[in-house]
Amino acid sequence: MDSLRKVTFGYKWQLSFLFALSVITAVAIILQAYFLVTIVDRVFLQQLTFSEIVWLLWGLLAILLIRTTASYINGRIGIKIGADVKASYRKSLLHKFAGTAISSSSQGQSGGKVSTLLDAVDEMDSYFSAYIPQLIQTSIIPLIILGVVFSQHVNTGLIMVITAPFIPIFMIIIGMQTKTKSEEQQEKLAAFSGRFLDTLQGLTTLKLFGQAKEQENAIEKSSLSFRDATMQILKVAFTSSFMLELISMLSIGIVALELTIQLIIYERISFFTAFFLLVLAPEFYTTLKQLGSTFHSGRSSMGAAKKVTDALTDTEQPVQWGKKNLPAELMPAVIRLQHVSFAYGEGQFSLKNIATVIPSYGQIAIAGRSGSGKTTLLHLIAGLLPAADGQIFVHEKPLMQYREKDWFDQLSYISQHPYLFSGTIEENIAIGGNSDASREEIEHAAEQAGIADLIQTLEDGYDTRVGEAGRGLSGGEMQRLALARAFLKKPSIILFDEPTTGLDLYTERILQQSIQQLSRDATVITVAHRLHTIKHADNILFLENGNLLAEGTHDELVETVPEYRNMVSLQQGVKNE
Amino acid sequence: MKDLAMIIKLMILEKRDIFYSIIFGFIAGITAVGLFAASGYLISKAALTPPFYTLIILTSSVKLLGITKAIARYAERYFSHRATFTILSNLRVAFFNKLEPLAPGIFHKYRSGDLLSRVVGDVETLQHFFLRVFYPPIVLLLVFISTILFTAFFSIYVAIVLLVGLLLTVFVVPALFARKQVKIDRRVREQRGELSTEAAEFLNGFRDLKIYQKLDEKEQHLIQSSDAYINDQEQENINKLTSQSVNAFMSLIVSWCVLALGAYLVFDGQLEGILLAMLVMISLTVFEDAGPMAVFPIHYQDSKRAANRLSAVVEHENEDGIINGDKALSQSDHAFPIYMENVSFSFPDEPRQTLRNIDLKLPAGSKTALVGPSGSGKSTLFQLLLKMNHTDQGDIQLDGLSINQIEQESIWANLNVVLQENHFFFGTVRSNLLIADETLTDPEMEAALAKVELDYLSLGDAVYEKGENLSGGEKQRLAIARTMLKNAHIWLLDEPTSSVDALAEETIYRHLFDQAEHDTLVLISHRLRNLEKMDQIIVMDHGKIIESGTFAELMQQQGYLYEMKQIEKDLL
Repeated sequence: MDSLRKVTFGYKWQLSFLFALSVITAVAIILQAYFLVTIVDRVFLQQLTFSEIVWLLWGLLAILLIRTTASYINGRIGIKIGADVKASYRKSLLHKFAGTAISSSSQGQSGGKVSTLLDAVDEMDSYFSAYIPQLIQTSIIPLIILGVVFSQHVNTGLIMVITAPFIPIFMIIIGMQTKTKSEEQQEKLAAFSGRFLDTLQGLTTLKLFGQAKEQENAIEKSSLSFRDATMQILKVAFTSSFMLELISMLSIGIVALELTIQLIIYERISFFTAFFLLVLAPEFYTTLKQLGSTFHSGRSSMGAAKKVTDALTDTEQPVQWGKKNLPAELMPAVIRLQHVSFAYGEGQFSLKNIATVIPSYGQIAIAGRSGSGKTTLLHLIAGLLPAADGQIFVHEKPLMQYREKDWFDQLSYISQHPYLFSGTIEENIAIGGNSDASREEIEHAAEQAGIADLIQTLEDGYDTRVGEAGRGLSGGEMQRLALARAFLKKPSIILFDEPTTGLDLYTERILQQSIQQLSRDATVITVAHRLHTIKHADNILFLENGNLLAEGTHDELVETVPEYRNMVSLQQGVKNE
Repeated sequence: MKDLAMIIKLMILEKRDIFYSIIFGFIAGITAVGLFAASGYLISKAALTPPFYTLIILTSSVKLLGITKAIARYAERYFSHRATFTILSNLRVAFFNKLEPLAPGIFHKYRSGDLLSRVVGDVETLQHFFLRVFYPPIVLLLVFISTILFTAFFSIYVAIVLLVGLLLTVFVVPALFARKQVKIDRRVREQRGELSTEAAEFLNGFRDLKIYQKLDEKEQHLIQSSDAYINDQEQENINKLTSQSVNAFMSLIVSWCVLALGAYLVFDGQLEGILLAMLVMISLTVFEDAGPMAVFPIHYQDSKRAANRLSAVVEHENEDGIINGDKALSQSDHAFPIYMENVSFSFPDEPRQTLRNIDLKLPAGSKTALVGPSGSGKSTLFQLLLKMNHTDQGDIQLDGLSINQIEQESIWANLNVVLQENHFFFGTVRSNLLIADETLTDPEMEAALAKVELDYLSLGDAVYEKGENLSGGEKQRLAIARTMLKNAHIWLLDEPTSSVDALAEETIYRHLFDQAEHDTLVLISHRLRNLEKMDQIIVMDHGKIIESGTFAELMQQQGYLYEMKQIEKDLL
């Protein structure tokens, strides 16, 4: 995880502070042992009076306070870095998503992105708040302790030097064993929890097919098999901590044995030294072991970080706009597509080599069966997706050389599912305006879109809250609201994804009238689902499997293109029934 | 607390693993104390040049304790985790069993899928209940009490100091910080919810935001929300850290007191000097286990909240007043008639009636189209026929029986239903079709796929949760195929082909009407196509039937349908 390391080194002074705190902690550990042992030594062997050791007690108390404070500040610094990193990563992600969200939302991947933005970023925290501080502590404290031990009694130092490497070695061996296994398990876990949700969500369907009862067993069975699989992994993890504990235990045991022999048989060291070293030994091994436990959370953080950096390095190109002015009086300009291609990803759907000219005030219909690439083409023309190959020219200059604002100021996109933002109805209509629209203008736009009557029947009128946690609007009402946005904006280019489903006839009629009215001052490019629309179009772009199979007027296409004739004759037949 | 009691009841089912967890936890804790006590004693003893064999005994008992401790810790972890996952499985099953009878009525109450994902998260949260809330305090108290009793044997004063320390570190300090923690916690959750809503809005409303040039503004707003959220998380972590630090310092102070008191007692002659090191070591070790108590209140609160929410969901039992009758419709191989008499219905919390005085006759084998603008009550009428909602007034008769007397399950077994939203499960095309009938053969399923023009899919193709990898039209076609494979003779179809193009629609309807030739069929249709094939057409508006008759009759009458048809023709 190079990127994480790079980020870490960005926090230079915090890191040096962590180093300093580790040194202080190490010194505190040594002094704590020193005072403790001295007190016991003086009371037990030298049998000094209580008042003679009182200053030692106070000294020990001060050391305890220093040690706790150091670890507290250590934690605070980690928390601070973690928060900082999260904020900056979330910002970069948002920026990235802002550039490329259109293809993901049209591919239904928004959910995954929200989870990356929230969960994955949150999970990165522990790498910085726990793992890094612990890593620094582990690289300093044992060394200082070791130095002190060597100065007191070389043999103990040697025992520590020889036994200590076993801890990281074991951690690495076991880590390698579990790594792939536990990653598999993580995926299984995610999949499993998804499965349970899936079952709950599909309960209506299951009941209608009389299959709900059977699911009880399925849930239990998969829960238990998940348990067993997890236990396999956990067993390895438990064995690893068992081994670590055993190693440190045995090592301390050897230290103790050696000290005892020196103390009794050879009488080469004092009780003080022996006890001092015996108190230090567990501290030495504990710091090493602690790295092991934080290592685990560090690694899950790294997994999350990988998800985040993957999302950031996603090769998907954002749309890059230029600086050229696009004067409003030139609009609607001629739009020319020159061999435009686009693919969502390797092996996925692609638009191939689309070439056409859309004249000013043209009424263009894009037709084709579902999945032929109609909406993708509309997104490309809108400048919401970047062409992988070829160019779109507006007024004979590549679209991408213009200023983004100039282009979008001239554009309305009326989709099948207009989005309602949380806010009032007034705000939702006003979002279409280029500048601050007055209430009158908004009401006028609402009237034109045939939604004013409905709004008036609402208790709060234009101030009614809609969107998340607000009043829901029906599909037809939302369409009309989107129309009101367009009436307020008065665009010179209208991209219109004709609705296929779910509208009441009143809305249908309004929609038709409105588009006609708006088209007087604009080029209209419609993804058409109705014969009426394509019959009245100046030019029809007939798509099949991402290819522009043919273009022309309705009559021309009926004449020359059998696939088109097939599609239309069916609708025709229905009409004449 | 009541809700947690329910969880505990489920937990107790695993009493053997719980018992082992506690026993081994206790052994691990007490041997750790014993280990350090013995080593403290050992080193002191060594200073007095004792006979060699006492040292041998002491060192080997230290070793033995060490190994016992490691083994016991292993066993504790093994049993406690196994218990946890088994409990989780029990919980899922128990919850599913409670939720199952409430579906699908309960889903109307919680329209968003959000509820369900929260439910799943809550069940997951409860895994910490056993692992961090339920048994560790028991182990901790057992170890502490044994240790205190042991020290009391040497010095009652030291034992009292330990007891005070126990009260402070296990009860007082965690309780002090818990209150603040709960407050911060709530704020963090609210911030998170807000951020997640805004992020979803940002991504889903992306196209409109972009075109209306509000994207940058929204991005800035999101960054602000994120910063506020991170700030609160930081407060949460700091509070946790402070609580842990205070607790750690507290336990060090206790050991310090033991040392000071012990020193004084030795000096005073009330305690043997050789025991001093041992007592200090005991104190240092026993409080190591108290550390996790700092996070106990957090997990406790989490578990309580999760349990409350879970029981809130399943406590809605039968609020919608559906009486589940005990009579079963005979599993017949022929169609039966359906009658509705003066039926009215309104959704709770809505003053306006959704359906008003509906009279409907669907003779056996008849084909009926239900048309009208969106929101006119067509789908609600289906819900009543499916007994997913209870009529406020009037009666519905299926095969001559009042719907109130019939079991829901037997109604569903006799119906072929395609709703506007049809669920597909993670698995394959095959596994999703087998829901209709487990005994289906591959050729049968392939034939059904061909009828809905999905023959480019193979039965082994993967289907993701909710059919995410299928287009709207494909989902509708797959739903129709699945329904065609179920062998019932009453069809309720709610706009089954709204996302399917005309060409495919034509083929699908041809096959559908072939299969349903002798069956009773009701089709909600937005498009006014193929209506002349139907025996009757019911036109609804604002919850009322405003017209009915054959297509020819209604066209001649030149009423509402005629007008709709004119507009549609105009639109075409």
